[in-house]
Amino acid sequence: MIWMQLLLLAGFVSLVLYLLVSSDRAKVQAGAKLAFAFFIVAGVYAVLRPDDLTVLANALGIDRGTDLLLYVLVVAFAFFAVSTYLHFRRLELDFGRLARRVAIQEAESQIAPPEDQ
Amino acid sequence: MSDDVWVVVPCFNEASVIAEVVGDLRSKFTHVVCVDDGSTDDTAAQAVRAGATLVRHPVNLGQGAALQTGVEYARRRAGARYFATFDADGQHRTEDLVVMIERLRTEPVDIVIGSRFASADTAKPPWFKRTILRVATATSRHARQLGLTDTHNGLRAFNRTVADRLDLTINGMGHASEFISLISENGWRVTEQSVDIAYTPYSRSRGQSILNGVNVLTDGLVRNRMRR
Repeated sequence: MIWMQLLLLAGFVSLVLYLLVSSDRAKVQAGAKLAFAFFIVAGVYAVLRPDDLTVLANALGIDRGTDLLLYVLVVAFAFFAVSTYLHFRRLELDFGRLARRVAIQEAESQIAPPEDQ
Repeated sequence: MSDDVWVVVPCFNEASVIAEVVGDLRSKFTHVVCVDDGSTDDTAAQAVRAGATLVRHPVNLGQGAALQTGVEYARRRAGARYFATFDADGQHRTEDLVVMIERLRTEPVDIVIGSRFASADTAKPPWFKRTILRVATATSRHARQLGLTDTHNGLRAFNRTVADRLDLTINGMGHASEFISLISENGWRVTEQSVDIAYTPYSRSRGQSILNGVNVLTDGLVRNRMRR
């Protein structure tokens, strides 16, 4: 069990790091796509050969393969939730800047244009 | 009358008080810009009738976004040298702002922030709110470094140095903490001015709910990640 716990905790720690450390957007997007592709392949494999999942789980110190699947899902979902939240925050910021420009242009169209810009 | 001062008043559904607030400000300052943050009531018309310049968000964005809009509009105006932020609900006093602007003119500071806690004999918020504000200030690393006693006061006065570089990215209420962080990061010279707050039933009803503190905290947490 100890290995699995370490792995899961590592997953959550990297989630927090992902949240706090500013990083290159393109790299993050590519990483997310790779992780997603791996997730699909692993999912298909787990459906076709569920016993292999149990073998892997046992090797990690867990009794059942479904438990392993559940743990991995929890971590994956947390990643998804955080990245979606961050994505929306960025959209909100861009949307706000857009609305600001509209508001200022509209206000300035009713008076003389500014002298310095 | 101060011709080189622009007072930014972010407002959202404040039709019942905005005319009085703007009227009072206009008795001392020529330029008052109301940023209507997508109000659904008569706020915009009332503000214009009272003599304010109106900048109107097409949709509701939040108070932080409205402040940024107002400052960006004001700093593009010819002759603008001093800027102020002022709440629309009537809790601030115009006389306090006059003093703050005077300090900007005479003292070597870039920004003067209103504080409810800087002096012992100003009106204090209700005890529960007071406690929350104290905690918010005590847990703010920047506020401690700068020696500030009130991080969530809507009354501020600042010069061009601050206005030109101001870039609030938190649209909601978390902007107050972000403002303090910006002061620290940019090395602006800051001082406090003891101000009175009128806690009327109206301003109380418009105040922030305590739960919103959770939003403020998370906004601050992810702020650095939003930087480009």
